[in-house]
Amino acid sequence: MINFDTTPIASLIEAGYTFADMQTYVIVMIALVVLMTIADLLHKGSTTYFFNAAAKAEAQLAAGNADCSVGKEDTRLTQLSAGDKAGILVSTIVTDVATAGEFHNPVRRLVHILTMYGFILFNAATAMIIFGEAETATLATVWNLGAIMLLVGSFWFWFSFKVDGQAEGVAWNSITLRKDMFSLSLMGTSLTALGWSIYGGGTGVWFALVLLSTASLFGGVYWSKFSHMFFKPAAAYNKRIIQANGTNENLPHETRFGGATPEDDDFQKNRHSMELLVDAPMDMGLGIKREAPKHY
Amino acid sequence: MKAYKTIVEDNIDILVVGAGLGGTGAAYEARYWGRNKKIVIAEKANINRSGAVAQGLYAINCYMGTRFGENNPEDHVRYARIDLMGMVREDLLFDMARHVDSAVHKFEEWGLPLMKDPKRENAEGLAKGAYMREGKWQIMIHGESYKPIVAEAATKQADKVYNRIMVTHLLMDDAKDNRVAGCVGFNVRTGNYHVFKSKATIVGAGGASNIFKPRSVGEGAGRVWYAPWSSGSAYGLMIDAGAKMTQMENRIVLARFKDGYGPVGAYFLHLHTYTQNGYGEEYESNWFPELEERVGKRYLNTEASHVSARPIPTCLRTSAIISEINAGRGPIHMVTMEAFQDPHLEEVGWENFLGMTVGQAVLWAATDIDPKFINPELTTSEPYVMGSHATGCGAWCSGPADLSPPEYFWGYNRMTSVEGLFGAGDAVGGTPHAFSSGSFTEGRLAAKAACQYIDDGKAEGIVVSDKQIADRKAQIYQPLETYRIGRNEIVAGTVSPSYILPMPGLQRLQKIMDEYCGGVTVSYMTNDKLLNMGMQKMSIMEEDLEKLGAEDIHQLMRAWELKHRHRTSECVFQHTFFRKETRWPGYYYRGDAMKLDDDNWHVLTVSHRDRDTGAYTMQKAPCYHLVNDE
Amino acid sequence: MPTFVYMTRCDGCGHCVDICPSDIMHIDDKYRRAYNIEPNMCWECYSCVKACPHQAIDVRGYADFAPLGHSVRTIRDEEKGTIAWRVKFRDGRVKNFLSPITTQPWGTKIPDFRNEAEPSDEMRNSELLAFEPKYIRMDDGGLHTLESNKLSLKAGGEYHESL
Repeated sequence: MINFDTTPIASLIEAGYTFADMQTYVIVMIALVVLMTIADLLHKGSTTYFFNAAAKAEAQLAAGNADCSVGKEDTRLTQLSAGDKAGILVSTIVTDVATAGEFHNPVRRLVHILTMYGFILFNAATAMIIFGEAETATLATVWNLGAIMLLVGSFWFWFSFKVDGQAEGVAWNSITLRKDMFSLSLMGTSLTALGWSIYGGGTGVWFALVLLSTASLFGGVYWSKFSHMFFKPAAAYNKRIIQANGTNENLPHETRFGGATPEDDDFQKNRHSMELLVDAPMDMGLGIKREAPKHY
Repeated sequence: MKAYKTIVEDNIDILVVGAGLGGTGAAYEARYWGRNKKIVIAEKANINRSGAVAQGLYAINCYMGTRFGENNPEDHVRYARIDLMGMVREDLLFDMARHVDSAVHKFEEWGLPLMKDPKRENAEGLAKGAYMREGKWQIMIHGESYKPIVAEAATKQADKVYNRIMVTHLLMDDAKDNRVAGCVGFNVRTGNYHVFKSKATIVGAGGASNIFKPRSVGEGAGRVWYAPWSSGSAYGLMIDAGAKMTQMENRIVLARFKDGYGPVGAYFLHLHTYTQNGYGEEYESNWFPELEERVGKRYLNTEASHVSARPIPTCLRTSAIISEINAGRGPIHMVTMEAFQDPHLEEVGWENFLGMTVGQAVLWAATDIDPKFINPELTTSEPYVMGSHATGCGAWCSGPADLSPPEYFWGYNRMTSVEGLFGAGDAVGGTPHAFSSGSFTEGRLAAKAACQYIDDGKAEGIVVSDKQIADRKAQIYQPLETYRIGRNEIVAGTVSPSYILPMPGLQRLQKIMDEYCGGVTVSYMTNDKLLNMGMQKMSIMEEDLEKLGAEDIHQLMRAWELKHRHRTSECVFQHTFFRKETRWPGYYYRGDAMKLDDDNWHVLTVSHRDRDTGAYTMQKAPCYHLVNDE
Repeated sequence: MPTFVYMTRCDGCGHCVDICPSDIMHIDDKYRRAYNIEPNMCWECYSCVKACPHQAIDVRGYADFAPLGHSVRTIRDEEKGTIAWRVKFRDGRVKNFLSPITTQPWGTKIPDFRNEAEPSDEMRNSELLAFEPKYIRMDDGGLHTLESNKLSLKAGGEYHESL
């Protein structure tokens, strides 16, 4: 069915298109993504927001421990060095970006990884074939594999993991074009690319559908969630930074054990009513969080 | 119109409608007595956090402590009687008080953290190891997870728990008049129609907040004292089923911290804070002599109170605050600066909010109020109609065989006047001061009785016609259809000449109740003329409620909450008009009958709404009191 | 003080939608993240705040009466059995709290009545509830009745308050 050694890109050459034509198309797609992301940022003012938020956090850090009259502020506030920040950047890339670490639900994480790497492999292989002006068996395999991963991931997401499907009981066939544009474009791109491949390539209906899907995918960036792909790593990095420097968005740090220092642990153990936990096991298990959040 | 599925759950033995503290008690106990019975829960939200105990509690306000030699049940009955100016069901109260401790001891066993009294850790005799008392009836707890813990006890026993089901109507037996057959409603997520056919039904669907115009009307309308999701559904469901109600005039007005409505119990009892007017003066003595004259010495005797430490009824304290503010010497402050100097009391003072009413802590953080340096403001709230606090609205229920006099007994404990229909918690009238533990206890009592009702064969031969089910389905989804069709008339927006949306509808109800039934803008004053005018407006509103519109399933839920609130409010009007006296100054005043009238009104009020005509019949029921045997 | 959700922290997992007692936390159509659809029906019960695995939900006091600039945040840790609060005033003052939320591992001490012995006929015909009379006062005493406490119920308003 699927010949992993070739992609239908070869058939475009036979049909009379040059690599230059295809390179132009790819460049236009990339340009659309870049320009539309910038337009989105400017329009929303999100970069200003992020810079302001970062400045506010720095100010809070510089101000030091607050005046605390009940409980105690721990000594967690730390100015991070350049080395610290570099290390955090690496963690962010390795965990949050590369392995979709922000998702706690393991299946949802898997679905995201499949979709993400499928997308990357498929597009990278396409670009390398088109700009290298040659199709090797390896690149072709990567192209096909990427398309399959993207197909599985995006369809699995659509039928099982669309958030409003999970939490709100919304049916899988309830579609609103604008909000579902990104998901549908991914599904469309993978499906039509594989269809194009299986049904002999060429410049027929399948090819037209491929062009339509990719145009919608890359051209819809201004309206779809595509650009969130760029915001998420920044947000993940920021989250690790504030946890490391102790400001942690005003979240409390009091805990029964495993605090910043043994002195902190002692202090918390002796808080009002904490003696009720003196004989309690370290791990009390899960209560409400035991079950998936689908109680309807 | 979108086709919603019909999902039927049949052959239920015990159906629990509403899984708050009352409903969870019922589901839990039902399994003990009904080992092989089918027990099903239908809950509007998520059982793990639903109901008034969602954010937790910092005290259990109903605990006798007989094991520590502390109180007897009759002591609690007398306390509740005094606080409610005599108007209570003493059989039901005694019954609740004699059982409530067993629920509390089980809660502790399950993991609910109860504070211990360090002073009695090594006491002699019975008192050893006693819990930390806040006051005579209240013990202090860390109850942030009170609801999840109790919910698990219920879900473990139930056969099925349906979450996100808005129950709109009770089903009635088509074969035998005045017998309940289950309930119907819809799923707030999927929109599907759900039918529950059951032999016995226990309603624990909560009392009513937001039926009077709240003091804060913007976002702040959510910061009501009693949960905003308490939509009077227990009353709406039961009144519509033809159940008799009692004491629905007995709405409660609370003196609480201003705007946040944070609790004051621990402050008064544990921190020993006290109140002052805006000029730092004591003020109750300005008003008690006049009140004593109006209600009579048996209800307020300031001389005797000092000597005997007899508690002063909640409503009278509230009345003094209202009068002092109206006389221009507000605001009333809680003097906290002294108590908060003690670091332990300061910590408790804040924990009290964080474990029970977080909004108050948020408000103080927002306004830079540290009670160590500022004495915060108090206010009197808008009125609420419910039955487990210092108020006893609810269904007229039978008591237990061994306690109740003939007028109060008709076979099964906590059964309403509709056969097979039981109540628990706020749903039951005449049992104030139950709070969380007492509500759970009432659920337990109702469950045992409901199992007995079934075992006695009283639920045989129930028939629910397809017509009843189909009619209810059409009725339930009507607001969606009304909106869908009516929407075609206008361009956009919420204003339409042919339908009304739930939020504007609620605001109209709140305004009627506020202005005609004694809300905050009229300083809780009403009279016979205003009540009559109000009832007329309510009846016009009922016509308009046939034209409620709902844009989506969430709004459909709000629409039915409004219908339940409206039905509750209508009943409140009837009762308030019927009782021609001012029995609870501070809760409300009858301008045409400002004095307490024991000669004519030392009775409980009982109403019945005819299911077909909607007409109310009002009755006086005797008030029985515990007396010592000679 | 209604809730709001941080854009950079929410991933649309739906825990808040699932738990909200007021049915007001829902997933936004466009951003596929949660938000509060009806702040005037928000009790600030913090159920959603506590349920969120990413601490993506926070509370801003009701605009009717709460000035901006405050922060009351919490972490409810089921495994450790505690809840921690950090209250930050508008003027920067801070208070920190830690309390137990359970003394037993969750769900382990709750009976399943299907595994308990059936109540006897004597129990059924009495006024006792499960685990009673033992659990009323943790000794061998019986249930309080009118007889045992030497009381009776009398109709009407003629009674002495001292009794």
